[in-house]
Amino acid sequence: MASLWKDFVRGLWDENPTFRLMIGLCPTLAVTTSAINGMSMGLATAFVLVCSSALISLLKNLIPDKVRIPAYIIVIATFVTIVDLYMNAFLPNLHQVLGLFIPLIVVNCIVLGRAEAFASKNTVIASAFDGLGMGLGFTWALTLIGSVREILGAGSIFGYRLFPEGATTLGIMSLPPGGFITLGILIAVMNMIAARQKAS
Amino acid sequence: MVVVLSVIAMISAGILAQVYGITSVIIEENQARALESSVFEVLPGTTQVNIIRRSADELGVDDTKEMREKEQKTSLIYQGVNDAGQVLGYAFVGEGNGYGGTVRVLVGVDEKSNQILNLKVLEHTETPGLGSKIEDEGFRKQFVGKKVEDPIKLGQDIDSISGATVSSRAVTEAVRQGFDDTTAVYKGGK
Repeated sequence: MASLWKDFVRGLWDENPTFRLMIGLCPTLAVTTSAINGMSMGLATAFVLVCSSALISLLKNLIPDKVRIPAYIIVIATFVTIVDLYMNAFLPNLHQVLGLFIPLIVVNCIVLGRAEAFASKNTVIASAFDGLGMGLGFTWALTLIGSVREILGAGSIFGYRLFPEGATTLGIMSLPPGGFITLGILIAVMNMIAARQKAS
Repeated sequence: MVVVLSVIAMISAGILAQVYGITSVIIEENQARALESSVFEVLPGTTQVNIIRRSADELGVDDTKEMREKEQKTSLIYQGVNDAGQVLGYAFVGEGNGYGGTVRVLVGVDEKSNQILNLKVLEHTETPGLGSKIEDEGFRKQFVGKKVEDPIKLGQDIDSISGATVSSRAVTEAVRQGFDDTTAVYKGGK
């Protein structure tokens, strides 16, 4: 039980994909224009991560070493397509915004990275917890970046206005440069916190 | 090795076929509803939409299968009517081949002046940040005011988006083709 907990929390902080490992930055920068976009993208990725990590771990002894990467990609792509279709059917507005980025989860290095580094060597349950931890770590990171950019760039959070209509906002925060600026500052803050933790 | 990979691919295909079967119905319904509300956007003032169906002869397609495909996607003309029952204009869907797949646009045309009133990109899979700029106001407004007699050609009266020539051409061709087809039927039929 203790080791499962360790597998889970690792992704949330110590090996947070966005702030610590710095992988999967392409969707991170692209979709975090608002809090809800970041959160949805994170949750979609988390779903794919949990399912594909568990399934790959289940199949690890059946898949020959030489074709493991294509096999993993098929498994991942299947789950991504399922997410894509269901989102298109039941959340069409969200799909309009995120639609272009959903298929890119297939090549998100977090998903393949966890399959290769963890799921192919560990048990099904441990892999699922690892996937969940990484997925939620990715989700909170994207939600945080999205919130900062939405508050500064559009003056709202999750679509609720914080400032009165017409208040001056930093439009650049909604644009790509804002993504880099926010990510850079947040990584600096995370590093600072991590350094303090280490020192104490 | 080959067997394992084939089996995985087959199972995956089977699952996806099932999921697609469930979701495609809902997706189509959503699209139909979205299309109708888009008509309101490209024909300002419209409160009611009449759908005019075009026959196979008018489409100029012999092959039944191709016709059916075309019919599902592009063969409808949406006539916009206001509260007073006045016909304001018509809208049609045009298709062009973009960089990442088919680009579908909805074009609204004024009933009297026959000028394009507005244009909306319904569906595309172009590169985010490059080709996806075809949705931007700056590119779309180049089409406003164009008549069917105008060239509507990239490089002549439409400027392409830098770095996204293929996507720009897809939209231009979609408008050109759809405009020709639709005007022939809509105006010719009267």
